[in-house]
Amino acid sequence: MTLQECYAAMGGDYEGVMGRLRSERMVQKFVLKFLADGSYDLLLSSAAAADWQEAFRAAHTIKGVCQNLGFNRLYESSSELSEAMRDGKPLADPALLERVKEDYAATAGAIRALQEALGV
Amino acid sequence: MATIKNMRNKTTRFLVASLIMVLALCVLVFSFLAITMDRRSTRTINEVGKIYMDSMSEQIALHFATTINLRLSQVEALVQTHEAGYAEGSEEVMEDLIYSAQARGFEYLAFYSEDGEFEMLYGSEMDVTDPEPFLDSLNQGEQKIAVGTDRQGNKLVLIGVSTVYPMRSGKNCTGLVAGLPVSYISETLSLNSVDSLVYSYIVRRDGSYVIRGQVASTDNYFDQIYDAFGPSEQAEAERCVRELQAAMESGEDYSAVLELDGERRHLHCTKLAYSEWNLVVVMPYGALNQEIARLSSQWIFISLSGCVIVLGALLLVFAEYLKMNRRQMRELDNARQEAVQANKAKSEFLSNMSHDIRTPMNAIVGMTAIATANIGDTQQVQNCLKKIGLSSKHLLGLINDVLDMSKIESGKLTLNMDQVSLREMMDSIVSIVQPQVRAKHQNFDVFIHDITTENVCCDSVRLNQVLINILGNAVKFTPEEGHIHVSMYEEESPKGEDFVRIHLSVKDDGIGMTPEYREKIFESFSREDSTRVRKTEGSGLGMAITKYIVDAMDGIIEVDSELGHGSDFRVILDLEKAQVMEADMVLPDWKMLVVDDDRQLCESTVSSLQSIGVKADWTLDAESAIEMVAEHRKKRDDYQIILLDWKLPGMDGISAAREIRRLYGSDVPILLISAYDWSEIEAEAKEAGITGFISKPLFKSTLFYGLKPYVLPERETVQKKKPREADIDLTGRRVLLAEDNDLNWEIAEELLRELGLELEWAENGKICLEKFQASAPGFYDGILMDLRMPVMTGYEATEAIRGLERADAKTIPIIAMTADAFSEDIQKCLACGMNAHVSKPIDVREVAQKLLKYMQ
Repeated sequence: MTLQECYAAMGGDYEGVMGRLRSERMVQKFVLKFLADGSYDLLLSSAAAADWQEAFRAAHTIKGVCQNLGFNRLYESSSELSEAMRDGKPLADPALLERVKEDYAATAGAIRALQEALGV
Repeated sequence: MATIKNMRNKTTRFLVASLIMVLALCVLVFSFLAITMDRRSTRTINEVGKIYMDSMSEQIALHFATTINLRLSQVEALVQTHEAGYAEGSEEVMEDLIYSAQARGFEYLAFYSEDGEFEMLYGSEMDVTDPEPFLDSLNQGEQKIAVGTDRQGNKLVLIGVSTVYPMRSGKNCTGLVAGLPVSYISETLSLNSVDSLVYSYIVRRDGSYVIRGQVASTDNYFDQIYDAFGPSEQAEAERCVRELQAAMESGEDYSAVLELDGERRHLHCTKLAYSEWNLVVVMPYGALNQEIARLSSQWIFISLSGCVIVLGALLLVFAEYLKMNRRQMRELDNARQEAVQANKAKSEFLSNMSHDIRTPMNAIVGMTAIATANIGDTQQVQNCLKKIGLSSKHLLGLINDVLDMSKIESGKLTLNMDQVSLREMMDSIVSIVQPQVRAKHQNFDVFIHDITTENVCCDSVRLNQVLINILGNAVKFTPEEGHIHVSMYEEESPKGEDFVRIHLSVKDDGIGMTPEYREKIFESFSREDSTRVRKTEGSGLGMAITKYIVDAMDGIIEVDSELGHGSDFRVILDLEKAQVMEADMVLPDWKMLVVDDDRQLCESTVSSLQSIGVKADWTLDAESAIEMVAEHRKKRDDYQIILLDWKLPGMDGISAAREIRRLYGSDVPILLISAYDWSEIEAEAKEAGITGFISKPLFKSTLFYGLKPYVLPERETVQKKKPREADIDLTGRRVLLAEDNDLNWEIAEELLRELGLELEWAENGKICLEKFQASAPGFYDGILMDLRMPVMTGYEATEAIRGLERADAKTIPIIAMTADAFSEDIQKCLACGMNAHVSKPIDVREVAQKLLKYMQ
C-alpha cells in the first residue's frame, strides 16, 4: 500500500496534504505518528466519565490534527462531535461519538495497513 | 677491506696456533701421566713382589730350620737318653739306641770320630760330601748337618750332634750322626712340588746343589743361571752370580729381580742354619706380571681415550668458534659495505640536489635582478614575478621533500590520525592535479567503485601526500595525450569489522620504468639516471617518502611497470572506520538516467543512487541515451534527472544535452559528470542547456550533495501557481508556539522551520506565559497560540500576556491558530488581544504573511 492508497482508504485528502507539507516523506512521517497520539483515548475515557469539558477538548484536538494531516472524513465527524460538546455541553446524541469511533477505526486501519506495507 | 681481511687472517692464525698448543699440551700431560703411573705401578708391584718373595723365602728357611731343629733335637735326645749307656758300651743300650733311631725314621746311624771316621751302627757305608766343615763343627761341640753319599750313590742328609762316646775302635768319638733321605727334606720343604710356582734349591757356596729342584738341568746353580741368561746377556748373568756369591760368602740375604725369556722372576737367597747351605727361591711373576701388564695397558688406553675425547671436544669448540667468527666478520663486512653504499648514494644525491636547488635559485635571483632593472615596465615585472613564483614553489617542494626525508631518517615522522572523508580527499586531489593534466592534454579519469565507508580515520595530510606523489609522478612521466586512470574500491579488511580495506590504483601509459629501477624505486636518494628522465626534475625522495608513509600506516604499496608502456601503482590500506553516523541521505524516488562510457562506473553509480532512494537506468553512449529519453516520454514516464558524462564515444555530453533540449524542452535537469575542471567548458555547457555539474569521483555523498539542490525547485515546478514563500524571509526570528498536541507541534515546527524561524514550544497557555515572562523584552518576535489547551487556554494566556508590565507586552504579535474558523471565534480572539487568526490546517504561507505583517 502506498501513502496515496492509504489516504484513499481512509477518505483523506492526499493532494491537499502534499500541497502543504510538500514531501511524501514528511507526510508519511506524521501519518505514522498519528496512531501514537493520545487524544482519541482521552476522548473515549472523558466521554465515558461524562467529563464533557475534557471530551470537547479532546475531540477538538483530533479535529485539529485531522485538519493538518488532511484526514477529511475523521475531521468532519470529530468536528461535529466537538461542536455538540462545545463549552462542556453534555453530549445529547451518542451517534456522533459512534461515527467518530467508526471513522477513527477506518483511519487507523488504513494507517496500520500502510505501516505493514512499509514494514515499519 | 684489507684491514678486515687482515684481521680475519690474524684471528684465524691465532686460533689455529692456540689450538695446536693446547693439543700439544694435552698430549704431553696425558703421556706424562700414563708413563709416570705405569712406572709407579710397576715399582709398587715389584716392591710388593719383593716383600712377598722375601717373606716366602724366610718362611721356607724357617721351615727348614724348624725341621732340622726337630731332627737335631731328636738326635740330641737319643744322645742324652743313651749317653750313660754308651760309656758302659752295653749291647743293650746300643740296641735300644738303634731301635730308637730307626723308630724316628733315620736310615743311618753312626758315631763319628774326631778324625772323621764313621763307626756305623746301622745303614750302609757313607761318605760325607764336604766333610771338613762338618767335622770342624762337631769337634767344636756344635751341631751340624751335611750330605753324604753311600756306596749305591744314594744321598742322605747327615745330622750330627756332638757327643763324647768311647768308640769300639778306641778312637775318640766327636758326635753321633744320623741320616735322613734327601727326599725327606725336599718333601718337607716342598722343594719339588710340581704345582707350585715357586722353585727352591739348596746350594752350596760354590753353586753345587745340595738339593736340586726338578727343573735344574745342570750340576751347578751358577751354570744354571748362565744358561738361563742366554749368550747375549752373559755379563748380566755374571754380575748376578757374583752378587749372589758375595752374599753367600758373607751369609747375607740376597734379593734380585731377573728378566728371563721376557719373564720377570724374583730371586731370593738366604743362608740355612746348621749348614753351609743356602736356600735359593725363585718365583716367576707370571700371573702377577700379566695383571700388571694389563693394568698398565688399560691405564694407557684410558689415558689415551681421555686425551682423545678432550681433544675432540676442543676441536669441536674451536671449529664452532671459528665458524661463528667467520660469520660475524662477514656480517660486519656486509654492514660496512651497505653503509659505504648508503653514504655514496647520499653524497651523490647531495651533489645532484645542490644542482637542483641552484637552478630555481638562479632563476629567482636572476628574475629579481631583471625585475629591479625594469621596475617601470609592469608587464616585464609581472612576467618576472610569475617566474619567481614558479621557481620558489619548485624550490619549496624540493626543500620539503628533503626535510620530510630527514624527519623519516631520524624516525621523527608520526601520523596524526583524524577523521577523513575519502570523497573530500579525492576531490581535493583531483582538483590539485587537474591543472597539470590539462596543461599536458592528458586523458584523466577517476573511478570510484562501491565505496560504502566514506569516513575513515587516517592522517589525511600524509595520505594526500602519498596520492599526490604517485599521481604527480604519473602526470610527470606520461607524455601529452597519454592516459591516467585513478581508481578506488573497498573490500572487507582482515583487521576486523571496524576496519575497511581501501585499494587505490594509479595507472598510466607513460614512459614506465626499467626492472632494475623498479627494484629500488622506494629506496631513498634514488633517481633513474638516464637522459630520458633528465628533464623531469624532482628530489628523487618522493617515492621513498611515499613508501615510508604507507609503511607507517601498515599498508602495502606495489608497482607494476614496463618500460615504455606505463606504470601501475597500487596502495592498499586498512583504515579504521570513523565512528560518525553518516547523514541520512535520502532523495525523492526520482527516475534517473546515467550516461557514461564506463560500464563499471554506470553500475556503481546506479547502485549508489539506489542506496539513496533513486531509481536509475544507465547506458554507455549519447545516442542510446536520447532514444531512452524519447521512449520514456512516450510512456509519460519522464526521467526526472539525467547525468551525462562529458567525454563519450561518438556524440559528447554537451551535444547530447543540446539534442535533448531541442527535442524535449528545458524542464528536465541535465547534469554533466566529469573528472576535469569544467570552468573552460562551463559557458558552452550552459549554452547547450546543461543545468549543473557533478565532479568525479562519484561517491554516494557526491551524488547526494550534487543532486540535493534539485529537490525543492523540482517541487516548485509542480506548484508553480502558488506564491513563493521564498519571497518571505523570516530567518532568525524567534517565535513562541503554544500547542498542547505533540503531533500538531511537530507538523507546525517542520513547516515553519522552513521559513527560517526559530520556534520554541510551550505545551500550554501557562507555560507560554511563563516563557514569555522569563525572556528579555524583545527576545521573541511573535507568538503563535493554539486556543484549546489544558491548564490555560489560548484566550487566557493572551489576556495575561497583554496585561504584563513590560515593553513588548502590548506590541508582540500574537496570532491564533485554531481548528475553529467561525467568525465568533475570530471575534473572541481579537477581543482578548490577539492580532490575527489562522485556521488549521496550517498553511505556511498564510502564517508567514500574518507574522510578517504584525512584526516590525
